[in-house]
Amino acid sequence: MHFIDSTNFERFLKKLSVDGELYVPVRDGETGKLHMERIELFPLPDNFCIDGLRTVEPLKAFAQPLRCPVADYPSTEGDDMSDDKPFPSVVVAGARGCDLTAMQLVDKVQTEGEFTDPFYKIRRDRMIVIGADCSECGESCFCNLHGAKPWPEKGCDVAVARIQGGYVAEAQSERGEKLIEENKDLFVDARDQQVKMRDEIRAKVVHELEENNKAYPKTAGLSEIVRDALGDGIWDDISARCVECGACTNICPTCYCFLLFDQKAGGSHFQRMFSWDSCQVTGYARMAAMANPRARLTDRVKHRYYHKYDYLPLSHGAVYCTGCGRCIDSCSASIDMRDALRKVKERSGGKKKA
Amino acid sequence: MKNPYYPIDTLVEDVITETPTIKTFCLAPSQPIKFKAGQFMQLTVPGCGEAPFTPSSSPSVSEKMEITILKTGKVTDALHALKPGAEVGLRGPFGKGYPMDKMEGKEVLVVGGGVGLAPLRSLIYALLENPKKYKRISIKYGARMPEELCFARMYDQWSKAAPNVDFSVTLDVPAPNWTGHVGLVTTLLDGLDLNLENSIAVSCGPEIMLKFVTLKLLEVGYKPPQIYLSMNRKMSCGMGKCGRCNVGHYYLCVDGPDMCYDKIKHVPNVFG
Repeated sequence: MHFIDSTNFERFLKKLSVDGELYVPVRDGETGKLHMERIELFPLPDNFCIDGLRTVEPLKAFAQPLRCPVADYPSTEGDDMSDDKPFPSVVVAGARGCDLTAMQLVDKVQTEGEFTDPFYKIRRDRMIVIGADCSECGESCFCNLHGAKPWPEKGCDVAVARIQGGYVAEAQSERGEKLIEENKDLFVDARDQQVKMRDEIRAKVVHELEENNKAYPKTAGLSEIVRDALGDGIWDDISARCVECGACTNICPTCYCFLLFDQKAGGSHFQRMFSWDSCQVTGYARMAAMANPRARLTDRVKHRYYHKYDYLPLSHGAVYCTGCGRCIDSCSASIDMRDALRKVKERSGGKKKA
Repeated sequence: MKNPYYPIDTLVEDVITETPTIKTFCLAPSQPIKFKAGQFMQLTVPGCGEAPFTPSSSPSVSEKMEITILKTGKVTDALHALKPGAEVGLRGPFGKGYPMDKMEGKEVLVVGGGVGLAPLRSLIYALLENPKKYKRISIKYGARMPEELCFARMYDQWSKAAPNVDFSVTLDVPAPNWTGHVGLVTTLLDGLDLNLENSIAVSCGPEIMLKFVTLKLLEVGYKPPQIYLSMNRKMSCGMGKCGRCNVGHYYLCVDGPDMCYDKIKHVPNVFG
């Protein structure tokens, strides 16, 4: 376990920024929310904030940008990707536990199995991630319901926890160990007292999470309950207020769905584009001749829950929600996933009694 | 590393008009494409977009490929406007294809409707390549009217391919000069003379047809594990990454597009 004081931490980030684009969380003065901001000049801005809670933007955006070209056609290189210059190295500081877990879940989909998405893989390999503890629990945070902790359990290179005067830091990957080794003049061994300070903050946030979410069900065993509720009318109630904006899926750190589309680039040339897509909008699953297996809004809303809580546990071995709460914050109809799952669970409990 | 989104340059060598709305595109890809019957390709019309199709040609031929396409949307409209000499793109093959190994020694029932005979033709080529490997090959096909019969030139050839092969065709409604069977394709499944216990049924066609074929097969005595259906969902990446082609927890692009009914029978609205 290491300790790095605030001045040295800034030096550390500055050194990392030499090799890649550096993004850090900054606090918006008006909303109090954290956003990822690219840092090109030091010193860090006054509103730099690596405690608090997760940023508004999900971490996935660095590995899977909102929209990007994936093929220019025709091209003399054909399908050869050995010229991979367009992928910059990126250093993301301040990723929280919920985002780190989510990133590993998206990794499973995009890099495991018969095919690997090379665009994702290259971006992901070139991402250095500095994880950070949460020092607050947001109103919508519910990582604890998934049995997760509000700090980086794994999935980053170096994890830091803000305490008075600096950060308790530890490597979580070989690359992280190397980074600390290469910059060992900036780090000292953490004292027990410093680790204790970190642990006290951790205990405080865990307590806040428990208090904040005591009305809601833990997700362990929820997959079976969701599965059993497939034909239930409860989904009509849950979807009744949805306005199909797609914010919940776009801002979700585990939602990975995308669409490929071609745009003309003069003559017979075209560019194949990758773009995030949302299963909540009607065109997502619509085929030629307007055939659509999820033409009804209820079926689309239900699909989001089923994909996360039933299908992906079956196909990829995990619930694809990490409790970041962004879908709750972003929903213009105030639909709360925790509340929806509570309703499903209550209905299921009622059924079993009956 | 290879870019899986970049298509293989492909020349349209010939276009065969099958029906007023169905054309077969005879393609020559710039590099051979090995595929298994039932696997699908993503076909690009440059500047217009991509859509998934299962080849209708023999999987033993990898230098050329035929794809038979119904004019029904943006990409297929653009395809139907293409003339021989046009350039298109191909990605794939994707998916698992038909369970050929499970068919060996079995009585194989092939049920097609409309343009659904296109992917089945690839299977029929594969089956007829060595008919002795199978106990029976029984092909049932239905179309709405005479002008919508796909691959009519091949029916005679199929009927006479081998002693254990039979082919029957039906029209949904009577038509002038039609002396053959009239009724939905499900009516060809009444009084099936197959040993059902040793049979595998494969079907492709519009979803509504798949639904009633499945119900009929169950009614006559097939069990869900013996039924394979070519499912339709919107597809984009073909590699199980983009998320949209799910039926339950399966992605058709990697687990299908031909799915064993036993695996998907619990999925609500499975037939759309």
